[in-house]
Amino acid sequence: MKIKNIILSALVVLGFTSFSGVANAGCGKLVIAEQNWASAELMANVDKIILEKGYGCEVELVPGATMPTFTSMNDKGTPDMNPEQWANAVYEPLKVAVSEKRIFVANKAPITGLGEGWWITPGTVEKYPQIKGMTALEILEHPEWFPDKEDPSRGAFVGCPAGWGCQLANANLFVAYEMEKKGWNLIDPGSAAGLDGTISKASDSGKPWFGYYWNPTSMVGKYGLIPVPFGVDFAGRDNWDNCIMKPAGECANPKQTAWTKSEVNSLITKSFVDNGGKEAVAYVEKRTYPGDIMNGMLVYMADNQAKGSDAAVEFLKKHEDLWGKWVSSSAKKKIKAGL
Amino acid sequence: MEFFTKFPVMERSALAEFRKSIDFAFRDFSRAYGDGIEAFFDPLLYFLVWLEKLMMNSPWPIIIGIICGLAWMASKSWKLVLGAAISFFLIGYFGMWKDCMATVAIITVCVIICMTIGIPMGVIMARSNRAERTILPVLDMMQTIPSFVYLIPILMLLGIGKVPGLIAICIYAVPPIIRLTNLGIREVDKETIEASEAFGATKLQKLRTVQIPLALPTVFAGVNQTIMMALAMVVIASMIGVKGLGVPILRAVLNQYLALGLFNGLAIVALAIIFDRAAQEYGRRIQKHRGIKR
Repeated sequence: MKIKNIILSALVVLGFTSFSGVANAGCGKLVIAEQNWASAELMANVDKIILEKGYGCEVELVPGATMPTFTSMNDKGTPDMNPEQWANAVYEPLKVAVSEKRIFVANKAPITGLGEGWWITPGTVEKYPQIKGMTALEILEHPEWFPDKEDPSRGAFVGCPAGWGCQLANANLFVAYEMEKKGWNLIDPGSAAGLDGTISKASDSGKPWFGYYWNPTSMVGKYGLIPVPFGVDFAGRDNWDNCIMKPAGECANPKQTAWTKSEVNSLITKSFVDNGGKEAVAYVEKRTYPGDIMNGMLVYMADNQAKGSDAAVEFLKKHEDLWGKWVSSSAKKKIKAGL
Repeated sequence: MEFFTKFPVMERSALAEFRKSIDFAFRDFSRAYGDGIEAFFDPLLYFLVWLEKLMMNSPWPIIIGIICGLAWMASKSWKLVLGAAISFFLIGYFGMWKDCMATVAIITVCVIICMTIGIPMGVIMARSNRAERTILPVLDMMQTIPSFVYLIPILMLLGIGKVPGLIAICIYAVPPIIRLTNLGIREVDKETIEASEAFGATKLQKLRTVQIPLALPTVFAGVNQTIMMALAMVVIASMIGVKGLGVPILRAVLNQYLALGLFNGLAIVALAIIFDRAAQEYGRRIQKHRGIKR
């Protein structure tokens, strides 16, 4: 009797699991990296909701960061997806991993309009309308527009905080564009908070500001920072990697160049393809956040001190016409119902 | 049961609103008055910039000469003068001259400001128990609150640069001089004061000719502490754009440059020791003149 019972219940359990497997239509368990900055948190949480509600996957989010997450995906094949991988940081190993088919670049540009570079505040344009459409080369002829508080006869260019990689790049570009001679001072804001402080201070008081920043960030969205084209082309990887990114002493002749192109990818592993199924992969391939919408969400997160999970719900509620295009119509219905 | 295991928390959205309202109120305040406050500090900024330029552009032998001269005047000790000359020479030799001058400039101004604010405050505290009761907790707060916390409002109000850095340093460095001035005056012998009162000294005379001179060694210990604490804040001040020895230290910390960090850290130590010994010797010599032994 007893044995019969056990077999019976085992059969029931087996039948149940296989049934639910059918209901999930091929999507199994997925692990997605939730990296520790706002845009990555948002993307990971949106992916979680869409994949769970729309495609019946079972998604687990694990904390991550650029290097650790990539290393883990590369060596151990887990997590299954990194929604926002900054590719320049892992340029060489990523090339190898893709060629060996361990990692797939499912989406080459999940966020548009991103990158590092030089920016001005809208207050600058208000004060000097002629700056509109100017390249960096042209702006550099007008240090008098951006007087340095501590040395008013010269212009202030706000660079990167001491110790950041971009500090070296800005210092070398400062030399390459002969900014010293043109009457500029390179300001070291000391920390991320200092850099943000200069922007919010200048924006709040309507003063001009010219300096380094990057996108997507809530600062760009909140203060409407305007990117400045450099007016020269990117002068090649050799100049950038072997001179611009080196400490001042090791870069004798920096060439004038635009900022290197930043690339963000959505990376998935083989097990994502196997467990997630074609539809899930198709979703990842399609989902592209326009830069301004991403920045809007980042501003929302900063203003409300919101977590990624809260922001994801807000995004799905507010931008249905955007994510509706990423998913099939049946999935869209299910996601909407699940919100 | 739930009451005991779960702490009664303010509701999440209400808490978020509360924090936001504080943030926005301060932002509105800084938008409205930031420029005015900044303008108020402009003379200070010009003085700081002038002093820094003066120190950076003067020929280095003159600066070392002046520093040695000051050290001699304060301490009358050849050992200290020689030590100062050697350490400044080494600082320059290892390429830290400019940063060192920027640090010395801002520390000097800081200490002057701390003294002009701190000593009168200490006197007021010594004269009135009520003032002491109100000021002491404020001093406690100034010394224990993490400096990053007040960097945020300073940054919002004044942006980055020398003046906000100076204020941050002063907040941290001014308490010891206030405390020790207060203590020194309160510790002055009651009988001495009674004697001066018996001779009909007014309050001001009593303060000027009896209390402050007798409290001077303790006040000097306060100045000493203020200098030390100001130097300790140099790295934090660099985080809001103050030039000086703190900048290379920040760079060293973020990139694990051991030698760079060590050199600049030791330069700060050298500055601290020179200032400390000179001030201590000066204090001791004052006591000698007055025939007080300790």
